[in-house]
Amino acid sequence: MSILAVTRREWTGRRNVLLLALGIGVIQFLGLYFEADPKVAHDKASFLGVFAGTALAWVIALLFGATMVSRDLEERRFGFFLNQPLHAAQIFLGKVLAGLGLALLAGLLASLPSVLLSGLWRQLALKDVGSVLGVGLAGCLVLLLLLHAVSIQVRSRSLWLLLDLMAWTNFFAGVRWLSLRLIDAGAFQDMFHLWLGLLAGVTLGLGAAGYLQVAEGRADLQRGHRWVSVTMALTLGLGLLAGWADVSWVLKHRPPEAKAQPGSSRIR
Amino acid sequence: MISQRGTLPVDCHQVGVRYGSTQALDQATLQVEPGQVYALLGRNGSGKTSLVRCLLGHQKPTAGRIELFGQEVWTSRQALMHRVGVVAEEPDAPPLMSTRQLVRFCGGLYPGWDPAGVDDRLRRFRVPLDLPFGRLSRGQKGQVSLALALGPRPALLVLDDPTLGLDAVARREVYDELLGELAERGTTVFITTHDLAGIEGLADRIGILHQGRLLVDASLEELKTRHRKVSWAPTQAVDPRDLAPYAPLWSRAGSLGGEAILTQGDPSQVSGLQVHALSLEELFVALVGAEAEVAS
Repeated sequence: MSILAVTRREWTGRRNVLLLALGIGVIQFLGLYFEADPKVAHDKASFLGVFAGTALAWVIALLFGATMVSRDLEERRFGFFLNQPLHAAQIFLGKVLAGLGLALLAGLLASLPSVLLSGLWRQLALKDVGSVLGVGLAGCLVLLLLLHAVSIQVRSRSLWLLLDLMAWTNFFAGVRWLSLRLIDAGAFQDMFHLWLGLLAGVTLGLGAAGYLQVAEGRADLQRGHRWVSVTMALTLGLGLLAGWADVSWVLKHRPPEAKAQPGSSRIR
Repeated sequence: MISQRGTLPVDCHQVGVRYGSTQALDQATLQVEPGQVYALLGRNGSGKTSLVRCLLGHQKPTAGRIELFGQEVWTSRQALMHRVGVVAEEPDAPPLMSTRQLVRFCGGLYPGWDPAGVDDRLRRFRVPLDLPFGRLSRGQKGQVSLALALGPRPALLVLDDPTLGLDAVARREVYDELLGELAERGTTVFITTHDLAGIEGLADRIGILHQGRLLVDASLEELKTRHRKVSWAPTQAVDPRDLAPYAPLWSRAGSLGGEAILTQGDPSQVSGLQVHALSLEELFVALVGAEAEVAS
């Protein structure tokens, strides 16, 4: 219940976002409704509905993540939560839930009129709708957690930012190297699995970093940044190590005929 | 009264806070007994806010230990906050929430919430309930914060300069509310303030922080008994050196006469001296001024 109380509190004053989303949806709907060619209108509506909804949801997740804790800390208002009998997990989860809920609802409101107009909803099975919502929501979660971590790192203005930059640079360089090895071996599906696994691991790491920032950093922005930095450096390092183990295993066990042909073209 | 260490509402032991190379708080040790009003005084930057942040579990001290009701505050913050009401120095409630929404939010978090008491206080303070917190005046924000802090019927009330920026009427209302709470429930109060005149009639015990060190930790009564203010007219032949046996903390002599604050003995035996009641403000200025002089 306390989590929901935090979620409700986060929604206060942000309901205008939903009105904005509805406005975007209605404007699209009207534009498409008056389109002369029904075929064009149908195609546009399908595309715009999904695109506008997803884009809006992701932008809201980005903005929410960038402000949900760090702005309170910078404006010295985070103490309000810490002065209540709320566990750090309740504060953090309440805020994350609020961000996800707001992004999802706004995305739905922005896309619904066009989706209804295009009749897309009739062509989609329940499983497809679930997949679209799942991908949208997962994207929101990653962006929200990522921006939360980045905003803490940027706003604290501490030297730990160097560790963050180093960790992320090494991570991307490592992922590129591992991906190239898989491409050389023609193991494209394994590369996709590697990326998916790393994305899941990084998301978990970002979640843990966010929670630790609240639980251990509390009102101290610099201390919170330290926890975010160490958690992310560890996560990214372990992720790379796991990725390297995975790629080594794949390359060791790949069938010989799966090797890429010499001289095959690929973009480096 | 000798109380068990474990049941003390506030027990700070050798608390230190360091920001880089700056020592904001240095080995501060103090205890607050149940039902006591402890006033922590100090100039800006003396370390008061750092101590309060550590006391509320917002910040981990770099040294020492802080316990509230026998529990380490850093590790047991959530459980302890059921028993602690807080009024922050800068009103920190979400600015977009109305007072009514704030009451509903806080009320849902405490099993022992006193809705009638909160409503009654807010009505007395004449705070508009539906205006967003951010649009209330400084005084109204303080009043809402106080009403919310008293809502869960706390065993300990921590007030960080609650009268900062308030006019005389609003200040009086805050103190009246505190007096009422003390008379009714005997709540323990830990207050930091610059309003020395206001707190004088309320505090049982005084702590004075200066440059991160706790200079004084004594009951108000003890401080007033120990320190005497004396003055003499220009016509009186008083030589400030005659006051040396009384260990003057501070003295001033000139063509208009002189005055001094003495820390031991009974100066009434010295002829030509008038002994006055010493205000907390005079004592604070003398103590902190003397310390600043020594430091420079």
